[in-house]
Amino acid sequence: MNFDYAQLFSAAIPETVVVITAFLALLVDFIFLRNLPARTRTSLLATVTAVGCLSAIAWMGVSHSTYRLDDAIFVVNPMTQLVKQIILALTIFTAFISVQTNFTRHLGEYFILLLLASAGMMFLVSAENILAIFLALELLSLSLYVLTAFNKQSVFSAEAALKYFLFGGMSAAFTLFGLSLIYGVTGEMNLTAIAAKLAGKTTDPLFYVALVMTVIGFGFKVAAAPFHMWAPDAYQGSPTPVTSFIAAGSKVASFFILAKILFTGFAGAEGDAGWHHYISGWTPVLAILAALSVIIGNLAAISQKSVKRLLAYSAIAHGGYALLGILTADQKGFASLIYYVTTYALTVIGAFGVVAVVENYGGDKLSDFAGLSRRAPILSACMMVFMLSLAGIPPLAGFFGKFYVFTSAIQLGAKSLGLLWLVILAIAMSAVSLYYYLQVLKQIYVVDASDKTTVSVALPTQFVIVALAIAVVVLGCVPNLLVGKILAALSLG
Amino acid sequence: MHDAFFYIFAILTVFCAVMVVANPVSRSPITSAMFLVLTITCMAALFVQLHAFFLAAVQILVYAGAVMVLFLFVIMLLDLKEEERRRIKAVSAGLGTLAVGSILFLIIKSTLQFGQAGAIPPHTEGSTASLGKLLFSNYVLPFEILSLLLLVAMVGVILLSKKDLK
Repeated sequence: MNFDYAQLFSAAIPETVVVITAFLALLVDFIFLRNLPARTRTSLLATVTAVGCLSAIAWMGVSHSTYRLDDAIFVVNPMTQLVKQIILALTIFTAFISVQTNFTRHLGEYFILLLLASAGMMFLVSAENILAIFLALELLSLSLYVLTAFNKQSVFSAEAALKYFLFGGMSAAFTLFGLSLIYGVTGEMNLTAIAAKLAGKTTDPLFYVALVMTVIGFGFKVAAAPFHMWAPDAYQGSPTPVTSFIAAGSKVASFFILAKILFTGFAGAEGDAGWHHYISGWTPVLAILAALSVIIGNLAAISQKSVKRLLAYSAIAHGGYALLGILTADQKGFASLIYYVTTYALTVIGAFGVVAVVENYGGDKLSDFAGLSRRAPILSACMMVFMLSLAGIPPLAGFFGKFYVFTSAIQLGAKSLGLLWLVILAIAMSAVSLYYYLQVLKQIYVVDASDKTTVSVALPTQFVIVALAIAVVVLGCVPNLLVGKILAALSLG
Repeated sequence: MHDAFFYIFAILTVFCAVMVVANPVSRSPITSAMFLVLTITCMAALFVQLHAFFLAAVQILVYAGAVMVLFLFVIMLLDLKEEERRRIKAVSAGLGTLAVGSILFLIIKSTLQFGQAGAIPPHTEGSTASLGKLLFSNYVLPFEILSLLLLVAMVGVILLSKKDLK
């Protein structure tokens, strides 16, 4: 048997570059940076990260090869490359937001874990084999558990990490159980082959057990209600850059892989979640999760006093909207899902970036944001863009994300308007969400500050936050920049 | 003969597994752990019958050996008296039985209805040589991902267990 290592290597160059950058970050920190002040150290390491990630992004932009390792363990096509580029961009933003915070002295370890988590996401995106999916998912999750516990001075960080770890372990068990039942039913590990084997068997009761277990497992990962209990504590307790990474990068990768498993692996078992058109399959399960997430996320966010917690509940709600994109079970819905999670990820990294800055002057409570517009006008303007985008106000990216997801969900059942009930619910709930996003803005712009000191922001962080705000506005005004790319990648892939 | 061995070890596996969680005589965690060792050994015997000798050896070395030592180590750190005094809640026992029962029912129903996924080969390709070839050809990437996973675990453990010097 001849195995072509050179071909595998050239397909996996971006991942290799990221992994090598991870080692470099640790090495550079240990050898050269030990005695520098923390902020310089973080800036330099973030630069190393950015250079590594950018070269991987550039490589993926230049090479247009497609590759498929035996049994679909590693698949490279335009779609996976696009999502990997998005993930790496999110990693760079997270790295620069970390400059602002001061939660650890173990910066080399922080960056190696951050980069290995990104590598895990990249492997996850390229995996179409349940074994590879599980392994990559574990690489990602394990890195995130440790990152969550990074702030060793804070009890909450430890508590958050423990909760995240226990819930994550549970969800991994569910995922593994579901996937092994699928293997038991079909005898295949490759998603396409699974779908082919399942074609005549979709009434097999064991398949439904497997389906529910898998969806539960990934429901934990994307923090969809009712599996969202870990999210608020984990978001609040972990160091803010890590929170943004969990909310942004890991969400993009998890939603992508969930959609891929359901679209490719369980093709033919969609069922129907339409009003009065119920057919069992995976869409009704997801429809329940989406409806619960949208309701619970938005209603629970209203009463939050901590901005990080508020953003956590809003993340649950946004997970619900994104599930609508998966529910459509077609390519157009998939494109809307990718656009939605990408713009959401950009917005939420920016929002957490602002929180990271404000946290240095007190905490993350709503009252700590009082009068921020006088203390940091640029930052406040950026926060306004992020909050309005999350609420879905045109012409910001958040509006078009929701617009695409909702229209693709409605167009799906053109005859029956099957998903209309869910879309109406989602629109009503996003009206509710405007209330708590405006609460934050009210604190920033209307309420007087008790503390009048000007807020100083590290230059790289300021730059990243402003860049993100501009990206949110530009992607909202010219959504075709991203949508065109996604559609092109889909038709090629 | 082959069948007889299979049934003996299969029944032993299930019996020991039940004794791990629901031992009517003793509630000591140590007894449970020892029954777990027996379960794993019986499973290794099942692997031997499939001619998957390498898997059988790994099953004993890793699970019955290394993982069990870890389990016993954790049990040592626990308060055993507390564990023995703890009451089994009727609700959770009922729910657990219900869940296990329904999954068992589905598995049996599914096998009766649809049969097996395909003809099951009498031997698996579990020989050490073929496994090694696969690990370094088709599965070389998952293998490398696993090594990264172990690296993350190592960095994480060192970082979290190290005392920060002030």
